[in-house]
Amino acid sequence: MQLKKPPTPLRLGLMAASCALLGSPAAKAQTAADGEQPLLIDAGVLYYKEDQGRVQTIEPIVRFKKDYGDEHVLGVTLAFDSLTGGSPNGAIPSRKAQTFATPSGTSLQPVSGVPQTYTTPSGQVVAALAKVTLYSVQPALLPLDPNFHDRRIAADVSWAQPVATDTHASIAGHLSNELDFDSAAFNAALSHDFNGKNTTVSAGVNGELDAVKPIGGAPVGGSDYTQLLKNGSKSKDVVGGLLGVTQVMSRRWVAQLNYTYDKSNGYLTDPYKIVSVVDGTGTETGYRFESRPDKRTRQSLYFGNKAYVGGEVLDISYRRSKDDWGIKSDTVDGRLRIDLGNDIYLEPHARWYHQGAADFYHLYLNQSDALPAYLSADPRLADFKATTFGAKFGVGFGGNTELSLRIEQYQQKPTDTTSSLAALQGLNLNPGLKTVIVQLGWRYDY
Amino acid sequence: MASPCEVLLETEDLDRARSAGRAAADEAWRIEAKFSRYRRDSVVSTINASNGRPVEVDAETAALIDFAAHCHRLSDGRFDITSGVLRRCWRFDGSDRLPTAAAIDAVRPFIGFDKIGWDAPVITVPTGMELDFGGIGKEYAVDRALAAVTASSSESALVNFGGDLAATRAPAGGPWRVGIERPGTEREAALLLELEQGALATSGDTHRYLLRAGVRYGHIMDVHTGWPVVGAPRSVTVAAGACIEAGMLATFAMLSGAGAEAFLDQQGVRYWCLRG
Repeated sequence: MQLKKPPTPLRLGLMAASCALLGSPAAKAQTAADGEQPLLIDAGVLYYKEDQGRVQTIEPIVRFKKDYGDEHVLGVTLAFDSLTGGSPNGAIPSRKAQTFATPSGTSLQPVSGVPQTYTTPSGQVVAALAKVTLYSVQPALLPLDPNFHDRRIAADVSWAQPVATDTHASIAGHLSNELDFDSAAFNAALSHDFNGKNTTVSAGVNGELDAVKPIGGAPVGGSDYTQLLKNGSKSKDVVGGLLGVTQVMSRRWVAQLNYTYDKSNGYLTDPYKIVSVVDGTGTETGYRFESRPDKRTRQSLYFGNKAYVGGEVLDISYRRSKDDWGIKSDTVDGRLRIDLGNDIYLEPHARWYHQGAADFYHLYLNQSDALPAYLSADPRLADFKATTFGAKFGVGFGGNTELSLRIEQYQQKPTDTTSSLAALQGLNLNPGLKTVIVQLGWRYDY
Repeated sequence: MASPCEVLLETEDLDRARSAGRAAADEAWRIEAKFSRYRRDSVVSTINASNGRPVEVDAETAALIDFAAHCHRLSDGRFDITSGVLRRCWRFDGSDRLPTAAAIDAVRPFIGFDKIGWDAPVITVPTGMELDFGGIGKEYAVDRALAAVTASSSESALVNFGGDLAATRAPAGGPWRVGIERPGTEREAALLLELEQGALATSGDTHRYLLRAGVRYGHIMDVHTGWPVVGAPRSVTVAAGACIEAGMLATFAMLSGAGAEAFLDQQGVRYWCLRG
């Protein structure tokens, strides 16, 4: 046995290979990935502002995620937001000033000792309850209720874990409270990996129970606005399901196909929205509270792709939805994550959306026509196109902290915005919407 | 790991000893869970069930595959992590049941690391072929466990997983004393070695062999013939800096058959071969 002699090439090669193996930091990272993980905190502030003094909101949101090892993951999300600003009440602009009551009123019928009066669009002067606050809208402007405000607090809790080989289950619950709306929801899902984890099928169910407590009560659908016929609180529920397949198409491409179905039941009307009624010349003669069907069934098909293209990650998806209110929509969404080195990335985002109008959507109603069973002038039910352009910029610090800034602009362009009626000519009856979204995010991995 | 595991630590702090034991055990279980082909959810099982499709692996698995690729090259193809399919015909249970030549020929097309597509971090294992880290895993776990034990301290420590071991440095009372089993016996030391620091690994057929017509067939396989290497020592123990390195030198020596001692002499390493 010789001890002192220079190492052979084989020995040197083996030493080098051993050093490379044991010096690789991967095992340590992997230790963390399999075992209990430190807490992940993801906090952000979202600022959302619509143009022309409409709604704006600031929403702080905090997410906690804790991995207890072996893919047992607890997630908790808390959000708080406060909305202020003006919200379209559904009426169209007019050549003359229009007066409306905030939703807190219960009746515009004469009540003794009431200090305010209210002139209906037909010229009738009525006394209003003290609770009613009136607001006027200047000629040619879209009627916005300037007193719109709300605050919302929401909490989500989720749990995910494997339940059998290659099978994962998750359950989640959600509670939220607004001034006029309480919501409780749950969902449960199962997924199973096949084919060496190259194929995953998933199925889920979800349910939601909401209490709708409109300020001043829920108006009687289709009733005359000046009567302020309201009758208390309402409720609605939603049940739905999801079926999905995720497939690894190649080393650089993962595709996902999801089908979702949900059915809503109950009070689906927006209690604060009205519809203008005009005569043959286009002059307002009154307003009606909107009224929507108390059932809605929605289906959508989603095709998503993540691909690794030229060193960057491309995320592109298409969604087709339709419901039995007659709304059909298409969404194309794309993001490209560009790694700029030094833990810095830029992620441009573009989205294109188009929807057709609901069957019962009317820009306004003609006085001479029979009152339809269902009616709404909510711009969200109109035929419109919308685009989103923006980018997210992220910087990582020391491997466990990331700061990000997202800036996006959203623009909604309605298709149907004019009328040939004399008094409405030259007015933009549904001017659309432009919003800016700024989100500041902070992520910390303890 | 299917063998007794122990951690020796020079400390008077019982909590510290417990946490060291736990760190080593956690690391051992982690590596076992990740690389054992007996566990359906392991990385290796995922790769072996890939049916010829590319599988992207994590950095640690990639480092092990790289290591196996180096060893394949350094041994001129004799060390091969695809040779595990020979188990389909060879069962080293101490009996005299040798497989037929036809059975061996049937699996030989599924052996050969050069048939594996390896473009880190993506591995493509043709249908019918399998990876087996059994020849590396235990020694790798010893090195990793020792690193886990000593990550937060500088005590003298030794990790021993079924005879493959590594130590940081000798305790105050003198070098670590390590016994090596006499082949064919249990708990009877044939050799008593003293180890200051570094690693020892043993390759041998102490428990895994076939015996027919007086010929002993050890479990170290010659991938070129599909038969066990002939003329190899019953056991080879090698000392080196890391357990993975010692283990590989011992395996290479066994693969050299009758030339085991000559191979080890040439490498200039300390070794102990037991024959007969």
